[in-house]
Amino acid sequence: MQVYLPIAELPINMFMVFGMGGAVGFLSGLFGIGGGFLLTPLLIFSGIPPAISVATVTTQVVASSTSGVVAYWRRKMIDFKLAWMLLVGGVVGSAVGVWLFGILQTLGQLDLVISLSYVTFLSAIGGLMLFESLRAMARRRSGAKVTARRPGQHNWVHGLPLKMRFYRSRLYVSIIPIIGLGAIIGFLGTILGIGGGFMMVPALIYLLRVPTNIVIGTSLLQILVTMAAATVLHAMSTQSVDIVLAMLLMVGGVIGAQFGARMGQKLRGDQLRLLLALLVLGVGVRFAVNLLMQPDELYAVDPAPILEQAK
Amino acid sequence: MSGRRILLPILGLLAVLLAQAGAPVRAEGLVAALSADVVRIESNYTGTNIVVFGEITRDAGTVGRPDPYDIAVVVSGPESNITTRRKGRFLGIWVNRDAEVFADVPSFLAVHTTRPPHELSSRAILEEHRIGLNFLNLRIARASDVPISDRDNFRAAFLRLRLAGGLYSERHDVIDFLSNSLFRTSVPLPANIPVGDYKVTAYLLQGGTLLAETQMPLRVAKTGFEQYTYWFAHQYSAAYGLLAVLLAVFTGWLAGVIFRRD
Repeated sequence: MQVYLPIAELPINMFMVFGMGGAVGFLSGLFGIGGGFLLTPLLIFSGIPPAISVATVTTQVVASSTSGVVAYWRRKMIDFKLAWMLLVGGVVGSAVGVWLFGILQTLGQLDLVISLSYVTFLSAIGGLMLFESLRAMARRRSGAKVTARRPGQHNWVHGLPLKMRFYRSRLYVSIIPIIGLGAIIGFLGTILGIGGGFMMVPALIYLLRVPTNIVIGTSLLQILVTMAAATVLHAMSTQSVDIVLAMLLMVGGVIGAQFGARMGQKLRGDQLRLLLALLVLGVGVRFAVNLLMQPDELYAVDPAPILEQAK
Repeated sequence: MSGRRILLPILGLLAVLLAQAGAPVRAEGLVAALSADVVRIESNYTGTNIVVFGEITRDAGTVGRPDPYDIAVVVSGPESNITTRRKGRFLGIWVNRDAEVFADVPSFLAVHTTRPPHELSSRAILEEHRIGLNFLNLRIARASDVPISDRDNFRAAFLRLRLAGGLYSERHDVIDFLSNSLFRTSVPLPANIPVGDYKVTAYLLQGGTLLAETQMPLRVAKTGFEQYTYWFAHQYSAAYGLLAVLLAVFTGWLAGVIFRRD
């Protein structure tokens, strides 16, 4: 069944979008990720203009992270003070992202920057995750004990000034890396149409040493607010949020996520991380192939500038 | 729906006959009408057809010529500057490198003729009226870095992509003559048609001479929910963004409540 998208200005098969939302939702429930990094490329490869794909997926990420935030909030597994500090950076990063997004669009280089960033970040993070999960699996097989974090353990991050105490996370760290991290993830999330959870969670654990049980809820809250801000900013600067497309993706996504979460409980942590690493790497490679192979059609016509609709 | 399909041609024909009654006296004239003045884009819009009816009028002053009459119908969409880009290899990856901006090109162009356009008239006349895609003058909007020898490649690529996308078309055996003077043609409007004010022009030619032309406005507009959403997104973009966020938060929250596991 075809449905006309009022902002993208083209008809699309409703069940296809619903199915994509559901499939990505399933994976996001399985791995505990937002799934934006899968959904945006899927939409782009299925013919939705990149600008609309990115902006609309930010809206869908708001919906999927809300479900998560509600669940973690109920279990009191969110550090609000830490989330607030991450957000200060996140909103600034997101605003810079939207500004740059508009400039790249007029230069005709938005698609390139999206592709390049996907290749870089997904390959790097997917590679790290693959390495880490393989090592964890080898360790488990050899029977070695995983060394837990000791409270007094420090790295260079803990030597920075402007320290602040976070009681919920039992941390006393500088706010510089926190705001910086929030800004980088907010910026990338806005440009790439992803929540950035798969980058935020490892960074909080390994860089700031936030306890693992607090990390996911806090990261989800940060993603929720940054992506909400990005949605409004995208809507204001490029009018590229398609509410009909977003709604279809959201409904498919939240249903798929429930099945994924149930499936996820049956798999072991390191197995899940290995699968996720392969998935992330796969998307990165797909973008790399597109950039490196000679395209069949070298020319492209920009969509006509949006004309004021006659009243 | 089928009732509408029958009714529209009849109304169109009536409009043609009425218009004819008031037409000024000329040797040869042309009157035409559309099956609809407005194409409405609704949620189930996947493309439609617009039917153009016309009649060639003759009077006592008509000089008998041996050549047959030719008809050309041109449907053209709102004009704007459109950029065509070409990818090139840069540091091993394929990126957009050269670009050419064509000025005031129609966003949509459908040309229906009784014969291949180049047989109808002189190049000057065909170019002036955009009868035929080969006679569409693609002017360069501003100083461009593309060497002159390369420009035709951009023009050709632009037309090729527009044809492939269904936004430009040229057909030359789709004008039906219902009698010696009465004709009809059905112009398909694809699903991805741009919105705006269109011009539908019918031309009467004979032996290379343009005898008469008549122009009708056609509006392509989103209606109802689609139009309102678009208007809202552009007019009150901040409120639209906030609404999208609220909708997303509500959906996420609702899903959390429905599927609550603990």
